[in-house]
Amino acid sequence: MQVRTEHWQRSLEMETWSLERDRFLVRILAPAKERGVATLKVDREVWNFLPRVDRVIKVPPSMMGGAWMGSHITNDDLVKASHVDEDYTFTLLEESPEHYLIECLPKVNAAVVWGKIVYEILKPQLVPGTVTYYDEGMIAVREISFADVRTTGGRTLPMRMTVRPLDKPGEETVLQYQEITFDVPLTAAFFSLRTLKER
Amino acid sequence: MLWRLALRNIWRNKRRTALTVSAMVVSSSLLILSLGIFSGMLSDMLASATEQYYGHLVVSVTGYQDDRDFFDNFSPDPELLEGIASNPGVRGISPRLRTFGLVSHGQRSDPAEILGVEPASERQVTRLQEKIVAGSYLADDPENGALLGRGLAERLGVNPGDELVFVTQAADGSIGNDLFTVQGIFSTGDSRHDNGLVLVGLLALQQLTVLPDRVHELAASLEDPMTAGATAAQLNARLPAGLEATDWGQLLPEMQEAITASDVSRLIIVTILYFATGLGILNTFFMSVMERTREFGILMALGMRPWRVRAMVLLETLAMGGVSLSLGISLGLVLSLYMATVGIDLSQTITPITYAGGTIAPRLRVVMEPANFIIPSLLLLAVCLLAGFLPANRAAGLDPVAAIRED
Repeated sequence: MQVRTEHWQRSLEMETWSLERDRFLVRILAPAKERGVATLKVDREVWNFLPRVDRVIKVPPSMMGGAWMGSHITNDDLVKASHVDEDYTFTLLEESPEHYLIECLPKVNAAVVWGKIVYEILKPQLVPGTVTYYDEGMIAVREISFADVRTTGGRTLPMRMTVRPLDKPGEETVLQYQEITFDVPLTAAFFSLRTLKER
Repeated sequence: MLWRLALRNIWRNKRRTALTVSAMVVSSSLLILSLGIFSGMLSDMLASATEQYYGHLVVSVTGYQDDRDFFDNFSPDPELLEGIASNPGVRGISPRLRTFGLVSHGQRSDPAEILGVEPASERQVTRLQEKIVAGSYLADDPENGALLGRGLAERLGVNPGDELVFVTQAADGSIGNDLFTVQGIFSTGDSRHDNGLVLVGLLALQQLTVLPDRVHELAASLEDPMTAGATAAQLNARLPAGLEATDWGQLLPEMQEAITASDVSRLIIVTILYFATGLGILNTFFMSVMERTREFGILMALGMRPWRVRAMVLLETLAMGGVSLSLGISLGLVLSLYMATVGIDLSQTITPITYAGGTIAPRLRVVMEPANFIIPSLLLLAVCLLAGFLPANRAAGLDPVAAIRED
């Protein structure tokens, strides 16, 4: 993951496991200073493990809007992105030979931070192209674009994701998969606080 | 001669004189006392706002005090510190680094403001060391000791000696985190600080946030808080570009307004109390002039000029005013001194109130200010003369013949 902001540039190497969409675990491998810092997400909760103090800290609701690992991804994104279909209603805006444009509007009672999300799905491969996030004033504030579409393990998916805050030109977070393996035998029990603490 | 007449007249009706004098003594001494209590409340408020947290004046990157942007930090080189310390009236300077993050103990975490300070310098600027309710203040070399507010400590369930984890965004984008040990717990009465402020060593926080040798502000205390505006203006003329000095009046505009408003309300209290006293005096002298109509007639028939009659009545009021004043000031001084040294503790019945950024302590205490004595004294004399003027005019305007014939 490469992060570029006005104040810092960082490059992290991480390994991650995920099971369906409710559970995942990320652990930093490099740089050495941050090696072992890990994040566990189960359903709607997020924990961080900090090896320096040897403690697991649950991210409280008030900090869910905070940056995850100094990137442009928030803790909220980790939790809410997997529930887009539960929190939003979908409308097909446009269909062309190249892509579908899908507009997502929040449901009345959904606790979400965006006013609108527009997904562009590339038609030939059926993979996401660009996702644009709008705030409550319907102003586009963030864009996530996907690239480097490859077929691995029988699946076609973009290997690179770029997050750009539109109100801060020049800043971005790039997530690039180096290697990806599917159908790894994992159980729900693997995504536990105990695994989180293992180095 | 006029004086002797005036004094003799005053003592003719001793009871009436005593009543009027006592009314004046009571009103002026109570006024002095209440103005003193008023000043005491204000100084408590100002002290709580400045001496518990802000300091009287703060040097920081221009604009930092508005949004507290973590990246608006600077390096406090010795020249800069020396330049501020050399300003007359500066008592102490405390370099501080500030961040907002998570404080956690066991399963509990809470967001808090974390202030990195050098305890020896900070003690000269704020008086948190007097507000410790458990444990002790940070040692001069605090290492990983932490001082936190009582509300926060209760929510986290920590006592001195317990372990705290701080987690915050460091300047390089990493998760800054470290272990601290609760050194002490403070209670200021200001809920914002008691529920969300943690003090740690400057060095430890600089390491945690990856901001070596950087600070966000230099908080200074002054001998006289009221000179903060002038001192800030002097500093602003000399500070390097990009830095600004902000006085407590700008940091706490509500407090500035509260103090201005208090000057107005002080005048209103004085006016109301003296209006009532003035009516009492007026009544007394009208009575005494009416009773002496014949007497005035005879005096004038004997050749006393109207202006001398008027002067005589005015002298009577003035003499009474003077006596009342000296008694009133003495009584007011005694009451004020008692309240300044002993005071009345109200903490059993009321809790501290935070207003305009300051905390009104649950106690009555007097702060002596010259204005609190001078204003009531001068005004009492003015009221005496004003109240004496109408009766004196009446006496001076009498027709001698009609006056002598009156029953």
